[in-house]
Amino acid sequence: MSRVSENSSSASIKFALNKAKSKLEDLQLKGSTLRDINRPSDAPLDTVEGLSIKSTRSDNKQFLRNVNHAKLNLNITESSLQQLTDILVKAKEIGIAQSSDLYNPEVRGSVANEIKQMRNQALSIANKRIGQKFLFGGHKTLNTPFEPDGTYNGDKGKSTVEISKDFFVPVNLHGREIFYGDKDKPTPSIRPLESLQDDATIPTAERKIASESAPKTDDGHTSRNNIFAHLDALASGLDNDDPDLIQSLLPKLDQDIDRLIGLRTQIGSLVNSVQNSENIINTEQVDHAERYSHLMDADVAELFSNIQKQQDILQTTYKSSQGLMNQKLLDFMR
Amino acid sequence: MSNLLNIGKTGLDASKSSLKTTSHNIANANTEGYSRQRVHQTSNTPINKSGHIMGTGARVVSVNRIHDQFVENKLSRTITSNEFYGTRSESLTQLENIFNEVDGEGLNYVLNDFYNSFRELANQPENESIRSLVRDKADLVVKDFKRINDKLETEARGVDQKLKVEVQDVNTLLKRTADINKKIAVLEAGGQQTGDLRDQRDNLLRSLSESFEIKTYEDEKNRFVISAVGIGTLVTGTEVQELATKPVSKEQSKNGMPGSVEVYYKTRPNNPISDRFSGGRMGSLIKARNEDIQTITQKVDSIAYDFANSVNAIHRRGFVNRKIPLNEMGNPPLFDKKGPTTGINFFAEPMGIDGASKNLSLSREVESDLTNVATALDPNSPGDNRVALAISKLQHEKIAGNGSTTLEEEYLQTIGNIGIETGKAIFDKEQSEGLLAQAKNMKERISGVSIDEETANMVRFQHAYEASAKVMQTADEMFQTVLAIKR
Repeated sequence: MSRVSENSSSASIKFALNKAKSKLEDLQLKGSTLRDINRPSDAPLDTVEGLSIKSTRSDNKQFLRNVNHAKLNLNITESSLQQLTDILVKAKEIGIAQSSDLYNPEVRGSVANEIKQMRNQALSIANKRIGQKFLFGGHKTLNTPFEPDGTYNGDKGKSTVEISKDFFVPVNLHGREIFYGDKDKPTPSIRPLESLQDDATIPTAERKIASESAPKTDDGHTSRNNIFAHLDALASGLDNDDPDLIQSLLPKLDQDIDRLIGLRTQIGSLVNSVQNSENIINTEQVDHAERYSHLMDADVAELFSNIQKQQDILQTTYKSSQGLMNQKLLDFMR
Repeated sequence: MSNLLNIGKTGLDASKSSLKTTSHNIANANTEGYSRQRVHQTSNTPINKSGHIMGTGARVVSVNRIHDQFVENKLSRTITSNEFYGTRSESLTQLENIFNEVDGEGLNYVLNDFYNSFRELANQPENESIRSLVRDKADLVVKDFKRINDKLETEARGVDQKLKVEVQDVNTLLKRTADINKKIAVLEAGGQQTGDLRDQRDNLLRSLSESFEIKTYEDEKNRFVISAVGIGTLVTGTEVQELATKPVSKEQSKNGMPGSVEVYYKTRPNNPISDRFSGGRMGSLIKARNEDIQTITQKVDSIAYDFANSVNAIHRRGFVNRKIPLNEMGNPPLFDKKGPTTGINFFAEPMGIDGASKNLSLSREVESDLTNVATALDPNSPGDNRVALAISKLQHEKIAGNGSTTLEEEYLQTIGNIGIETGKAIFDKEQSEGLLAQAKNMKERISGVSIDEETANMVRFQHAYEASAKVMQTADEMFQTVLAIKR
């Protein structure tokens, strides 16, 4: 039997009360925030995972903004291409109709005016803007990309946007690939950073003059192989009443139309993948939110039953202390 | 017959001494560190009287305190480790608060925002107002690095202050112990032990072991010696080896901070002993300052360094967002009238890893002109977003820790480590609190006063006193009887 002294019994009472109270306090904090983790030391690994989910979630929010941006760009590009196709199809129909000797020069003259009108329309599409920026100027988005004579002032720059982690899509077509029948098709770069990659991580690396690789743009208009030139030629063919010229233009217009359709297919599939990744991100966001809540939030039912339990323990501790504190042998010796 | 009176008197004396001790015990029932005392009494030497050996009453040998040195040592060690973990969990909780992003926004959040602002800029590289957003977000990153560095430094300085106070307290305790040693030596010269003074000395020793781990013993000349584990002797009898503190230069300091406080023996000012204290508040404070805070500061510095350098490396390759007239060769000039056109740092170039988070700032160019925020890899290409994209992709590049992790992973790992350490310290603290309560209880069970017990003793001694008095009364009556014979 161990001996009990005044101090030993009051110390045990204090210790027991303190323990019960500090547990209750901890639970009450959790009850007021409804969170299981209030500081990293509560669960270090879960905290780290939670924080990394938090940043993924805010990245995803940004990616959703990027998706909207990409969709806006791609949709406007697509509708421009459609208008352009319509114009060319119409021009081709006119060309087919006028390629025979059926019509007289007066009729052809008025048709030529229609073609000129179409050419102006095509030019306005080529210089289309979203806000302050020109859509088809490559990277030179603040200069008017096409001069009235059809000269291209832009470059072959492609803007890419990250629509989900490490997934980049090009969001613009440059004027050359739309209006010029170039053979050198620039492949859309899926990793736009590759040019930067090699020395991006080496702080002291020699900086290259980036303009060395800048695409040269000055030889394009000399070929006269572009939509504007084709429409011009068609108009002059009509003006000059020259069915042979008109006939020779038909395959070129066909090529133009084919190219536009090819580009539209490209844009369409891009829109699809953008849409797709939007859906994926949205589902991901829900999953992440669930996981985050699972990590950080308190199980309310369990929490409150724990609080109840701890309150009971405290009550019992009070009651049992009462007997120890208030009674002495002296009380029974009067 | 006079013998009988004498025996009665020894009984009265013994009982009175016991009662006195009992009342002393009761009076000190709540005195901190008091050990209950007991009268050690024995029977007197018997005498041979007409062939019979007869007892001659009782006598008080000594008054002793009930005390177990082993338990006392254990208690002192438990106090040391409890203080160590208590202080440790306190300091680490403070550190943890600096990095607590569970509730609000911290470095991870602002870094994330920074990268996303570059993504937004990549969407609209022509847009001036998004450039200003990028600059604001970068400013927040700079501020948060500074905040963290500031808080860490404040913590380290706080430790310095606490160390000074600790050493003052320790010196006071050492002097008081030496005083008591002197008093004890005087009082105990007669060979008896003084329980009360020893209790007081034990109290002082317990306070001392809050600061660091100590060992005590009595040397061959009966001098009481206190030594700090890992350090050396502090008190020998009445002689005190005082401790002192002084701020030292950055090179001499143990944590690489100028003016940090180091501990010395007062007599040997060139021999710092700060990192040799084991356990207790001082051991814990010094460990927090020289290990935890320093490691974290270095970690954050290296993150700031890698971050600024990698952003700069990409940003330098970009061209400014304004019209640059090309020269005859068709190349852009390196300077225009607003300054350089390319090769611009986004952040001011860090001088080195040391102090990188403290000194992080936007470069002068970016600070002064928004067109110096580069997005384009080619000159005169307002729609070129490749640089902005590349900077935003740094978020997922393994640029920290010599290319083994991303900055975010590195930073979260740091938070995780602090969390783990803090959790461990809190756990250790709770456990050592339990152990301390147990050790205290053990001591109190042995040495503490129990009122019930003293009450029972009081009754017992009072009865013995009454009985002894009765013996004397009987002896007196016997005298009367004898005297009456002659009448």
